[in-house]
Amino acid sequence: MKKLILILLVLPAVSFAQGTNVINQKGRRFIPAEVTIRQGQSLTVTNNDEFIHQIYSEGLFDSAERRPGQNIVEDFPRSGTFEVRCHIHPKMKLIVHVN
Amino acid sequence: MRLTCLALAAGLVCLVGPVAAQPWDLLDSGKLLATGGVSQIEGAGGGGLANWALITGYGTRDGIGANLHYTTVLLPDYRLQSAGVAIGLFDRLELSYAWQEFDTQDVGAALGLGLGRGFTFHQNIFGAKLKLIGDAVYEQDEWLPQISIGLQHKENDRGAIIGAIGGRSDEGTDYYLSASKLFLAQSLLLNATWRQTRANQFGILGFGGDKQDSYSAQFEGSAAYLFSRRFAVGAELRTKPSNLSIAREQNAWDVFAAYFFNKNVSATLAYADLGSIVIRENQRGAYLSLQAGL
Amino acid sequence: MKKAIPVSFAMLLALTAPGISQDTLFADMGGQAGIDRIVEASVENYLADPCIKAVFEESNMDRVRAQFKIQFCQIAGGPCQYTGHGMAEAHKGLHLTNADFNAVVEDLQDAMDKVGLPFATQNRFLARLAPMQRHVVTK
Repeated sequence: MKKLILILLVLPAVSFAQGTNVINQKGRRFIPAEVTIRQGQSLTVTNNDEFIHQIYSEGLFDSAERRPGQNIVEDFPRSGTFEVRCHIHPKMKLIVHVN
Repeated sequence: MRLTCLALAAGLVCLVGPVAAQPWDLLDSGKLLATGGVSQIEGAGGGGLANWALITGYGTRDGIGANLHYTTVLLPDYRLQSAGVAIGLFDRLELSYAWQEFDTQDVGAALGLGLGRGFTFHQNIFGAKLKLIGDAVYEQDEWLPQISIGLQHKENDRGAIIGAIGGRSDEGTDYYLSASKLFLAQSLLLNATWRQTRANQFGILGFGGDKQDSYSAQFEGSAAYLFSRRFAVGAELRTKPSNLSIAREQNAWDVFAAYFFNKNVSATLAYADLGSIVIRENQRGAYLSLQAGL
Repeated sequence: MKKAIPVSFAMLLALTAPGISQDTLFADMGGQAGIDRIVEASVENYLADPCIKAVFEESNMDRVRAQFKIQFCQIAGGPCQYTGHGMAEAHKGLHLTNADFNAVVEDLQDAMDKVGLPFATQNRFLARLAPMQRHVVTK
């Protein structure tokens, strides 16, 4: 249990530091709301919310819906800055910088 | 931010409040219009003569509602008035108090008991009702009605006169079981109540009598058709025991129209037949009731 | 005559039985066009209602409108198949109370009044929505 807590505490910090790629959906928001990853890496978006979510990014992907507890993995093959949103909750926005 | 909805006479006003719960949050006025019923003659939530299984007031199961009522019944030879207060707690428990005054006008003098004109009987009625099971409004896909049990404890101030006419006690308690259901697809509300009582004329002439002293099972029922959210028309029937040999009692019935202006005010107008009361037959007349609250 | 009595009693019961209503409700509501008008008007009311507009402020309202139209069509007995989320899982995160549910009902009643639907027809429709309360209200 202590190891799990330690990992969970470290993860958000690591996302900012090294561009690793786990995003939470919680409170109808993406946490973190902005992330930097390397070209070719993938993003794992986990639904830790009380709502069904999905993710889409224009020209890139439009995922199926995911229930609480499920996750989606999407690739980012090109460099650039991309917006990731949810069809069900239009105020959710994630900015992905791909180097 | 937390939204609090408090019904005011002008309409529904929502106050934006702090995150922590405030006491006034409980006055949620969240029930649908008319679903608290009106105030029946002994002060409980219901129709005019009949008790219902609905809990009075507009508080949902998360809140509280309360109201005041005044009722007057103008009969050929008597006048009955009732005024009271009732509170509905979490759509589960109802507590009520009603004061009743029965004015015998000229009849008291005619009885030869030394009563002058305008002799009055008074009752204090303390009521409690508990919803047991069911929801009359939401459970449209179930046969089970909303079922409540309750009691009405009545205390009459004319013990001596009650004794003189054959009554056994000046106080008594009615116990009842009510079932109510809104058949929404038919715009019809039906109620049925089984009451165990010793009361003579609702307790106005005391409890128990020379003919019969024990509790007897009585029935009251009502049906109301909803013409609109605000307007319902219906009929009620209430059976009564006939415990006193000098004062034969009959079933009471009425036809009524109830108008709910908003969640704060309603008015009920009825034509009521209370049958024979003491030495006067055919006591039929106008019933008017007002309820104000939230 | 002996057979007619139980048959007619059964018919009477069938008319009042919960969940069984006349099949004309969809037509009586004006078909899909009528239902669309009701949905547009009711959503307008929800978004203007200070008591419940917060419930919708995070939602994609185009999607919500479209889903209401299909769902109401199906509930009214129309030729639609609602394939959206179940009522419980769609509303669970909103922590709705009975007061919230009733506020929506009142806004829907106002919308049905506005499009001129008779009260009796409104109630036939609401009778089919009412059982959703146990799934939609979680608080």
